[in-house]
Amino acid sequence: MNFQMIPPRRMIPLITALLALCVFATHADALDMKRMTLSNGAVLLVSEQHLLPMVTLSVAFDAGSRRDPKGKEGLAELTADSLTQGTRDLTATEFNQKVDFMGSEVSVGAGRDNAEASFTSLKKYEDQTLSLLAQVLINPGLRPADIERKRAEMVAAINAEEESPHYVAEVAFGKTLFGPDSPYGHPSEGFKDTTAKLTQEDVTNFYHQFYKMGGAVIAVAGDVTADEIKTKLEKEFAALQGTVPAQPAPPAPTVGPGLHPVLIDQNVAQVTAVLGFGGVERSNPDYYKLQVMNHILGGGGLTSRLMREVRSKKGLAYGVGSGFDAGKFPGSFRATLQTKNKSAEEAIAEVLHQIRLIQEQPVTDDELSQTKKYLVGSFPLKYDSLAKIDSFMLQVELYGLGLDYPDRYPKLVDDVTRDDVLASAKKYLHPDAAILVVVGNQQEAAIKVDSLLPH
Amino acid sequence: MLHYLRVKSAPALACSLALAVSIALASTAGAGISDNVKTETLPNGLKVLVLENHKAPVATFQIFYRVGSRNEQTGKTGLAHLLEHLMFRGTKKYQPEEIDQIIQENGGDLNAETSEDFTVYFENINRDHLDVPIGIEADRMANFEPKGFDSERAVVAEERRMRTEDSPADALDELSRAQAYIEHPYHWPTVGWMHDIQGLTLDDALAFHAVYYSPQNALIVAAGDFDADKVMKQISEQFGSIKNGPKPPPFDQIEPPQEGERRVILRHAANLPSFEESFHVPNLKNPDAYALEVLSEVLADGKSSRLYKDLVEDKRMVVGTSAGSNMLSFDPPLFTFSAQMRPGVKTEDVLTEVDQQIKELRDKPVTAEELQKAKNLEQAEFVYGQDSIFNEAMQLGIYEMLGDYKLIDQYLPSIDKVSAADVQRVAQKYLVKDNRTVAILEPTGLLPKQAGGGPSGGTLHRSMSFDEGGVR
Repeated sequence: MNFQMIPPRRMIPLITALLALCVFATHADALDMKRMTLSNGAVLLVSEQHLLPMVTLSVAFDAGSRRDPKGKEGLAELTADSLTQGTRDLTATEFNQKVDFMGSEVSVGAGRDNAEASFTSLKKYEDQTLSLLAQVLINPGLRPADIERKRAEMVAAINAEEESPHYVAEVAFGKTLFGPDSPYGHPSEGFKDTTAKLTQEDVTNFYHQFYKMGGAVIAVAGDVTADEIKTKLEKEFAALQGTVPAQPAPPAPTVGPGLHPVLIDQNVAQVTAVLGFGGVERSNPDYYKLQVMNHILGGGGLTSRLMREVRSKKGLAYGVGSGFDAGKFPGSFRATLQTKNKSAEEAIAEVLHQIRLIQEQPVTDDELSQTKKYLVGSFPLKYDSLAKIDSFMLQVELYGLGLDYPDRYPKLVDDVTRDDVLASAKKYLHPDAAILVVVGNQQEAAIKVDSLLPH
Repeated sequence: MLHYLRVKSAPALACSLALAVSIALASTAGAGISDNVKTETLPNGLKVLVLENHKAPVATFQIFYRVGSRNEQTGKTGLAHLLEHLMFRGTKKYQPEEIDQIIQENGGDLNAETSEDFTVYFENINRDHLDVPIGIEADRMANFEPKGFDSERAVVAEERRMRTEDSPADALDELSRAQAYIEHPYHWPTVGWMHDIQGLTLDDALAFHAVYYSPQNALIVAAGDFDADKVMKQISEQFGSIKNGPKPPPFDQIEPPQEGERRVILRHAANLPSFEESFHVPNLKNPDAYALEVLSEVLADGKSSRLYKDLVEDKRMVVGTSAGSNMLSFDPPLFTFSAQMRPGVKTEDVLTEVDQQIKELRDKPVTAEELQKAKNLEQAEFVYGQDSIFNEAMQLGIYEMLGDYKLIDQYLPSIDKVSAADVQRVAQKYLVKDNRTVAILEPTGLLPKQAGGGPSGGTLHRSMSFDEGGVR
């Protein structure tokens, strides 16, 4: 199952005010976020962590796959991949050699909302590695032969990915739910036919349009001091000026009444089923209610209702779960499972039953309090490594949560009541207006969609 | 075999290589991870390692049992892994799911993993509640009483379908190991053969638990933001009175030397051809393991490595490639090359290319720059590995099971001693044809054989894309 679509859980309400105070002070101390603005307009967040002689840095650009022009799906990812193929002064081979010789890691990749350029290095190689990252962002090589090579790699990788029924199901679901006109309707690597047609000019244009420091967010965690790293970044990124115009929000995806099946035949022992519908954007005020509700339904690992019923009681699946993928724009809700072909219908019926159940009856007091305790108590696990701190800081800034987010969040979630959970389940779950993607041996699965509808 | 997934799964081969790499790294930085470890052996023989680390207000608790799939018998494969699942299905005191519920309520995540060599249960938790997993792990060592055996066995069968049967890379790895190991129990997969899984009984699991899940066969590692003496005391209180069962039978299986190349073909649902090419090599009990580690760095770590540069960048033959071994394997592991061909590329051509790369390693010493780069990479990656308390604790546990957790501090100095001549010597010694098993996956496409009319009520899409090409 795939929980990766679900944004990391943040701190949740505290059960007692006293505990809240204790825990909170600890989080604030441990994270110690500092926020600054660079003269080119980029926002910098720094968390000084001096226990290990290493540094991690990430820059989020408004250059994710949602920026792909229609018909050029895959362009954001190809641009990101091409950027690490050397600079004006260094060939790809020379660049890789320098990075590897220091034991550093330098990467640029495109996600759905943003592209991230990042590095990890030992403290002693911080300056050299930062310089290399800045050079690929400011003076990238973007040689035609390198771009062509990366494009061929992407197409080959899609061929390989398609061997995974889970990949095929997720891509088909996104394509069906969001449709061809939505910025969210395609995976970042694009489709084989669109990626294969991308040109050097496409990449160069995309790079010039979207890799701007105005509006970019930089997160640095590790053995640095805030003032020092700010000075270095001002110098290294001085040449990357400009801003990116905001992208108009697309309409929220909707699904008409009924269960809309997309059945894909594949020679596998198990079906992968994805059932879902439109979701919410990260800024939706009901976001926290949905976090609590989904944890109980299918987000909470083995204690969730879906795991308990589909896996533990019936033995139908190893993995089953659900989640909202809230982004800059409204995303989706998906429940996902794998089960042997023959039990596909039974397992999907149980998932639908559980979705309907949480819409009809309030969750128990125990479920609500256990969920809150978990979300509160496990918060430190969200920042126990430098990479996690980097990613946390990027979210705080990109979604406008503010440095006081840990202060506000406990109350936001602690206020969630059983009635809120019921109301949000009714409002945001749509078992009777849903898309059902099933990848598997369709003859063996023999799903009768009519029998999955309510009687 | 994780108890359950929280993240996207990776092929078993990838997992074992990744583990080997991260462990290698962690041990590299050398100077004194083990200096800060406090140890105690309880009167019942249970050894405990405790390490303070104050980087974040979290702690990890890990209990290892020295039992994995290599301790199983023919016909009962998959038993160690099924038992691991059953450990979450209750005790005399707890109902199924109650253990998960309690750990979650205390701000923790828990899971378990079974390998060929050992089984480990772990909780990553808010530092204020480390006493909770300590109590729970003691209880399920002493008072194991699982409920719902049949459904859990069905879950494991589903896990096998997902991980192995529907993953071409894992299916190939399973076949490859079964060919490379004939006598040694590394012959069978940790998840077990499907027929064996379906025949396992509750009595099998209870008997296995009685022999292998006792204090004398276990090891505890706790690390995190706590007072080591206090945690040691809590562990001693909870585990000290647990009695030992019968002594586990000694493990004395060995794989006889391979005499001649083995080749095997798997025809399996897939888009692209792929292969695994494996050689028997020693584990860390033989110093050659360190030279082989450096050799794998030169071949396959980073984008300037020989295989990546040659096969991915210059000749553009493969989607991806890897090379390496798990030197922390309890018994001698395999050094495995793997590659997945791009559409239209012939497997034989890439095998020839890999042969050429191996020949190069036998014929010529690696350059001074390559050697230094390999050592630099290991050093850096070691520091990065310490960024996770979980990884740090896991490595200490595995080294201890291999003989002594302090061995971790010898890793970097041992790597530093490796010369270009050593790398050439181990290539000449181990990477030879008679010691090789080649497993080749021939793709049969992704459509079911009987694909025809779709079921009623739905739209039937063909598999989203399928490129002809590759090897026939």
